[in-house]
Amino acid sequence: MKTMEQVLQDWEAVIGLEIHCELTELETKMFCGCKLEFGAEPNTHTCPVCLGLPGALPVPNKAAIESIVLAGLATNCEIEKHTMFYRKGYMYPDMAKNFQTTQGPKAFAMRGWLDLDVDGKGAEERLDMRDLAVGETHESATRTETGYTTHIGITRIHMEEDAGKMIHVGGGEGRIDGATHSLVDYNRAGTPLMELVTEPDLRTPEEARLFMQKLRQVYLSLGISDCSLEEGSMRADGNISLRRRGETEFGTRTEMKNINSFKALHDALAYEICRQAEVLEKGGTVVQETRHWDPAAKHTISMRVKETADDYRMFPDPDLAPYDLSDEFIEGVRAKLPELPDQKVARFQRSWGLSAYDARHVIEHRETSQFFETAMAQAGSEAEKLAKPLANLVINDLTARMNADESFDLASCALTPARAVELVALQAADTISSKQAKEVLEVVFGEDKDPAAIVEERGMKQVSDTGAIEAVVDAVLAANPEKVAEYQGGKTGLLGFFVGQCMKEMKGQGNPKLINQLLEEKLSS
Amino acid sequence: MSEHVTEQDVRRIAEYARIGLTDDELPQMTADLNSIIDSLKPITEYDLEGVEPTFHPIGDLSNVMREDVEGTSFTQAEALSNAPAKENGSFLIPSILGGGDA
Amino acid sequence: MASFDYSALTVDGIRAGLAAGDFSAREIAEAALARIEAADAKVNAFLQLIPDAALAAADAVDAAVAAGKLNELGPLAGVPVGFKDNMNLLGTRTTCGSHMLENYESMYTATCVQRLLDAGGLPMGKLNMDEFAFGSSTETSAFGTTKNPWDLERVPGGSSGGSAAAVAAGMLPITLGSDTGGSIRQPASFCGVVGVKPTYGLVSRYGVVAFGSSLDQVGPFARTVRDAALAMNALVGHDPLDCTSQPCTTDFTANLEQGVEGMRIGVVPEFMTAQGLEPEVGEAVLDAIQKLASAGAEIVEVDLPNAAAAMSAYYVIGPSEAFSNLSRFDSVRYGLCDPGHADLGSQYEASRSRGFGPEARRRIMLGSYLLSAGVYDTYYYPAQQVRTLITDDYRMAFGECDCILAPASPRTAFKFGEITDPTTMHLSDIFTISINIAGNGGMSVPLGLGKDSKLPVSAQLICPWFQDENMLRVAAALEREYGAAELPPAFASGRAGE
Repeated sequence: MKTMEQVLQDWEAVIGLEIHCELTELETKMFCGCKLEFGAEPNTHTCPVCLGLPGALPVPNKAAIESIVLAGLATNCEIEKHTMFYRKGYMYPDMAKNFQTTQGPKAFAMRGWLDLDVDGKGAEERLDMRDLAVGETHESATRTETGYTTHIGITRIHMEEDAGKMIHVGGGEGRIDGATHSLVDYNRAGTPLMELVTEPDLRTPEEARLFMQKLRQVYLSLGISDCSLEEGSMRADGNISLRRRGETEFGTRTEMKNINSFKALHDALAYEICRQAEVLEKGGTVVQETRHWDPAAKHTISMRVKETADDYRMFPDPDLAPYDLSDEFIEGVRAKLPELPDQKVARFQRSWGLSAYDARHVIEHRETSQFFETAMAQAGSEAEKLAKPLANLVINDLTARMNADESFDLASCALTPARAVELVALQAADTISSKQAKEVLEVVFGEDKDPAAIVEERGMKQVSDTGAIEAVVDAVLAANPEKVAEYQGGKTGLLGFFVGQCMKEMKGQGNPKLINQLLEEKLSS
Repeated sequence: MSEHVTEQDVRRIAEYARIGLTDDELPQMTADLNSIIDSLKPITEYDLEGVEPTFHPIGDLSNVMREDVEGTSFTQAEALSNAPAKENGSFLIPSILGGGDA
Repeated sequence: MASFDYSALTVDGIRAGLAAGDFSAREIAEAALARIEAADAKVNAFLQLIPDAALAAADAVDAAVAAGKLNELGPLAGVPVGFKDNMNLLGTRTTCGSHMLENYESMYTATCVQRLLDAGGLPMGKLNMDEFAFGSSTETSAFGTTKNPWDLERVPGGSSGGSAAAVAAGMLPITLGSDTGGSIRQPASFCGVVGVKPTYGLVSRYGVVAFGSSLDQVGPFARTVRDAALAMNALVGHDPLDCTSQPCTTDFTANLEQGVEGMRIGVVPEFMTAQGLEPEVGEAVLDAIQKLASAGAEIVEVDLPNAAAAMSAYYVIGPSEAFSNLSRFDSVRYGLCDPGHADLGSQYEASRSRGFGPEARRRIMLGSYLLSAGVYDTYYYPAQQVRTLITDDYRMAFGECDCILAPASPRTAFKFGEITDPTTMHLSDIFTISINIAGNGGMSVPLGLGKDSKLPVSAQLICPWFQDENMLRVAAALEREYGAAELPPAFASGRAGE
């Protein structure tokens, strides 16, 4: 199989997403008063409505409707005032009524968009952006300093209810294949679920990943869901097709359902790009089907599905009154809109002079964003000066720590925002080197002490005294005459060796900037 | 009487509705359905251009919602009290794909 | 043996008797049980008796009376009541007349049932019906037929046949039925009792097993208009558990005595000349029109040009909604489960084939077809457009009249097995169906016995949305002309079908 990069030389991927998100921050289900709780004993949060008992009737949760309107406003959607709930029929045991209550042609939120900033390695997936100059636009994407910005259309966000959960027993690893029987738990049945559908505007797996990530940031900022990918409260279906570069017709698409991590979303789509290209280049045709992403095997496999096309027997639900949302209702929800991620990025740039790239990555998580803001407030008049190093600390150290260790909680860890300010201030004042700063950070986490105290206690202060450094530099050069000759003969890579020797002599406390500077001076003289 | 649905159609409809029909029952069901569908003809003869449908009777009802307040739920035992089969606090069903050995 | 004539008691009579100490609620309940034991052996209206619940409710009433608190009790204190078996009542089975739910134990109580209990009613049991309310004769019940007390060889009508027959035979003063296309009004007519289908939204549907959600409405059967009005008082009002239920604080007894002077009564010529309308029924309805005119009502002709399409619209909308509503019966959470299947698909098919009778299966199949891709646009969508036309017809008609008078059923009760063709059976509802389509209130009021058949004949009254009190007012006027519903001779006082 070719690599994705090779495939994308000749082919363009057309990707659309359907992203489901449970409104976990509500108290109760979509159509009944049962409590929303993940991980409860099976079938302890059920009632006549969500068990689909004969005679039970649904009553919509007003807070859910407010939440979806809020989500619509936050994603630049038009709010559809006149909508209805529909019944979508399919007999499946996790759906208690054997129809899902969902929306028809009109959803509460329609025709929205989000802009994505793509940079770093991810931007390289988009080949058609490479040759553009900054500010130049191709289709709906514009080249920027660090990558490009692309405009992704949102078709709609509609309101529906989640299904119950099934455990398949007797097959391998809980898989439905080979199971002898299954167990059904209706606690999740009826959980308010928003489904966002994008236009087929995404062109690379990285864009798909970023879209889901950005949407998650938006939803989190709205406080309507915990957006937990692990617990399945946020999950994506991705569909993808290929077409020859320059073509405008869509190819046949495949779909991957219930993807529950950003990495899986990226990798599944990337795999499908390669797989479809291989099929097409061998003269075959892509079969329209649902495929399952197996993260362990790193490939997708065809799901066993019926050959007949889905026919859901959709019709307006007679048990639910139609909607005629008033301007007052919509404006009332709009008034609750918090600061959205894009607005926050702009504010961070404006207030503290962060680059767009840094600002975007600082606010990637709610915790890091809050941490950064608190630290900036405590930095007082130093804030602008410390913003960049603090952003680096947040992006390079804290985010990495959070990604590596699920149990790491930034809000309660030993590095308080005040200590973070202290740490970056020490480094900014050249009291400690960046290398030392990293050591101090480890000690803060290990011993729960203030950075200044650690520096003091361990005598870690950086030596920036030119005279002291010069003495060490001279001694190191004198001790290594052959290496000096080699350097002067053109082997300038040896500079690192001399720096290392000096640092070793100074027990790591020499100011590396000064050491470098002096070494270069003396070696070139 | 016109043939609106063939026996083959009726078989597909039954499959979707999860109604098992024997070969013996098929002709009668097909005849019954065709007879009823025939009687629906007046619906197809109207000029309904521009007429809004009435999906909900008593048209002025809209925006009926409840507050997000917890109500009472069943206990696990209550929830399962009518279950034809249960196991570990859950409703038990045979294999969905029919791939098991049971 | 009770010292009072139980079968002759009205709601007011029971309350007066309780107040005067003529009898206790327990004695009422015991008398009701005795009456049911004797009469139901012939009629078979009951699917389930709940004597313990009835006696417990009676004792609660007696305790209140003993404490001098009868005034604090609801309007139906001490009144034995029964429920169509599609209404959930905790502690009872709710079978819907179907093998599918033969062993289904209600896990909660329907709002309409609760409201009668809150009003002081004594729950006596659950009443027979056509399977899932699909029928007009109660012959499709999986648990045997109910006999018409006027002639045990005839059907009681349907689908609420048990509810109608139990009132007609003097077993209960008040029962509840549900009406999707005529299922209260037609059996009321066949059994010669009052039967009210209120305006859609007046009574909560929560807990009533759904047939056609946009058509179903619960209402009372009674032998007098006043009893029906008292039951309405207990039943109506907004229910937060039913989005389609509406607030209502009307006292339905308030204007029963006002008479019809100055009221405009509409007559629909197309109905009076409809094919299949038996002459004795047509004549009885014309006679009723005459009597209302004599009583001071103004008779006006009104036109319902699209009512002829109501039957077709109904057989699109009803089965489509029923197909969807009945998809929940899948052998997983409750209901009949055919055991021993290795895969769920065959368990589904076997359970649903065994559980549903022929008429239910036909309607499910029809709905499955009508909602399928492509077909939806041919029938379902236009049927809902036709519904708009029919609704507009009624709105226009009610611009010219306060209440419409029509036949309730084209004929009197027929014999068991007399009608077997589904399409012919469907014609039983020819005068009632358009009212469900438009959502208006409608009711049957007895006009005495047909001159040829000597079987009960009824008029149907139809009212504008939420003006059901005016319909009851006209019914009360007719009742004064024709007399309140009598017990059939075989079930008259002291007799129980011998």
